[in-house]
Amino acid sequence: MRVTTEVKAATRDRILVAAAEQLTLGTWESTTTRDIAAAAGIANGTLFNYFPTREAIVAALIEVTTPNATKQYRRHRTGHETLDEELFSFEWTALKSLRAYRSFLAPALEAVFSPLASPARQDPGAAIRQTHLESVARILSDHGIPQPLPAVLLQLYWTLHLGVLAYWAADTSPHQEDSLALLDHSVKLFVASLSGGAGGTIYERGSE
Amino acid sequence: MNADLNELLNALPQDLAESAPDLPREQLQRIFADLAMRRPPTSSLHRVWSVGELGVQVALACGVRTVRGWFSDAGERERQQLESNLRIGLRIFHRLSYLRGTLMKLGQMAGSMPHLAPAQIVDTLDRLRFDAPPMHFSLIREVVENDLGRSPEEIFQSFEQNAFAAASIGQVHRAALKSGERVAVKIQYPGIARTIDADMRSIGALLAPVRLAFGDAIEGKFEEIRSMMKQEVDYKQEAESLGFARSVFADRDDIVVPRVHPEYSGSRVLTMDYLSGVHVDDFLAGNPSQELRDAFGAKICFAWYRMHAEKMNYADPHSGNYLFMNDGRLGLIDFGCMQHFSDNAYKSLGESLQMAAGGTAAVREILLAEGIPESELGDEAFLKIIVESSRWIAEPLRHAGPFDYGDPTHLKARFEWGSGLAANKTIMRNGTPAWMYYHRSNIALLALLYRLGARVDMSQFPIAEWWSKK
Repeated sequence: MRVTTEVKAATRDRILVAAAEQLTLGTWESTTTRDIAAAAGIANGTLFNYFPTREAIVAALIEVTTPNATKQYRRHRTGHETLDEELFSFEWTALKSLRAYRSFLAPALEAVFSPLASPARQDPGAAIRQTHLESVARILSDHGIPQPLPAVLLQLYWTLHLGVLAYWAADTSPHQEDSLALLDHSVKLFVASLSGGAGGTIYERGSE
Repeated sequence: MNADLNELLNALPQDLAESAPDLPREQLQRIFADLAMRRPPTSSLHRVWSVGELGVQVALACGVRTVRGWFSDAGERERQQLESNLRIGLRIFHRLSYLRGTLMKLGQMAGSMPHLAPAQIVDTLDRLRFDAPPMHFSLIREVVENDLGRSPEEIFQSFEQNAFAAASIGQVHRAALKSGERVAVKIQYPGIARTIDADMRSIGALLAPVRLAFGDAIEGKFEEIRSMMKQEVDYKQEAESLGFARSVFADRDDIVVPRVHPEYSGSRVLTMDYLSGVHVDDFLAGNPSQELRDAFGAKICFAWYRMHAEKMNYADPHSGNYLFMNDGRLGLIDFGCMQHFSDNAYKSLGESLQMAAGGTAAVREILLAEGIPESELGDEAFLKIIVESSRWIAEPLRHAGPFDYGDPTHLKARFEWGSGLAANKTIMRNGTPAWMYYHRSNIALLALLYRLGARVDMSQFPIAEWWSKK
């Protein structure tokens, strides 16, 4: 029997829904691809036709939230935001769209976005990284930052993003308010680095 | 940068500006350049690091001052002390602006430690509250949504994205409800409230030089500060205080306390009626008549003592908390720091008037009745300070006719007996923590009345009658 594109898409969606349920009910360590396949009503072997690893499933879960997050971010955008405000808004909307997955994101992040991953090892987070940084580059461009951006700068931003994401995923403060402050502070530092300022050191240097 | 450097420099005492004009300007420029780049850290570790560094700087500055003073003549010593005090003040200013929250409040407490923070430092620190960098609207939206379950766009008909006032732990925005009513919305910086306990541990380290001098006796004062700070970050408590204060004043008093809108308020967001008026600087810039200044001075005094009669102290009488309204009414706009007197503290306050009238013998009798051990009463310097401070507090009340708050003699006397207060170990051992906030707020009140140049006949207020009812 030929499997149509529609059936494939429906099965993929079913796997993602089942994975979110299983990972939320259980833990990252205890939930296997076998559990996810069973919950999705498919054979374990079939699941691997769609996702080669458990990390790839989580990466796909993150990816499917992106369009909605982008929509939310654009809905609030007035065009009068400063660069740091716009980056803050973009990042926080992305984090909020992942809220349902917070319970398993913290332990999964290391595997999904491992800095040791390489194309040969099928880096599950590569596509997310690329999409995210393209959006950031557009925001920076809108604010007059010359393109193309240096690779070092993009890596710096991605490191900052992962740091905030990891902190937010494990943040126990009410409504993750500590992450709000951390993100605000981090974005300010990044923007300061763009303008050549070394945030927080001017006064100390001057008072030597 | 959201603050005007010249405005801040103008707030520095004139004698200081004349003696070392370049020092504050140069340092302040560096501070402001730096502040523009910074956000308040909420990480406990980061705060501890900053405070630790500050503690070392303060201790070093104090040490250098002492050593240099050994080799100087009196005139030179005075100049050096002034410079050193300013330098410490600016360092505290810088750190506290960065740390905001709890530590900024400590800065405002500096008046209770005159040997570390005399008049120049207190004057500089008094400017802090309006100079904190603001949150942008995207952050505001998240705080409001977290606290009230809806975004500002959903709750309000309009919401001004730029804050019109910044406070130590929050900032205030003008807005209009769907009904069209104009409101002021106070919003707290995320994460500040939960850092109080961690900060108090840091403050313990910062004040190590003071603790060395006074031992464990300062612990009760720390506890008082901690309790007041916890209250200040609790907007629900502030809403209650606002409600209670509103019930104290009648329409005929011409004193306005904003009404809280509880349906649009929570623990991080406080929505109140918007009061239209100006702060003292702008009021004085309009060159008001003596009559108008006296009238506002009388209202300020009335509000202060009327709240005392209800066992409340408007404990953070920063000049920015008073609003001079166009229609002649006085607005009281910040109730985050309300001191509620215990029965004992209230009794002690009333007795200070008796002490003023009775001299040393009366003081001994009252202190014994309050449970101060007889052995402590052999310290003549201690008794003298109690008598002087009581007389000072009572002076405007006992004065025949209008008391001229614009005469600097009264304010200067506070610093004379105040310097003895901080150095007296008997007071540190036996002083009631409640008096610490009382003195701080009292001196700020006097400073405001002094700036106003107000003349107030205190006999028009039935203060003794209010007290006797309690």
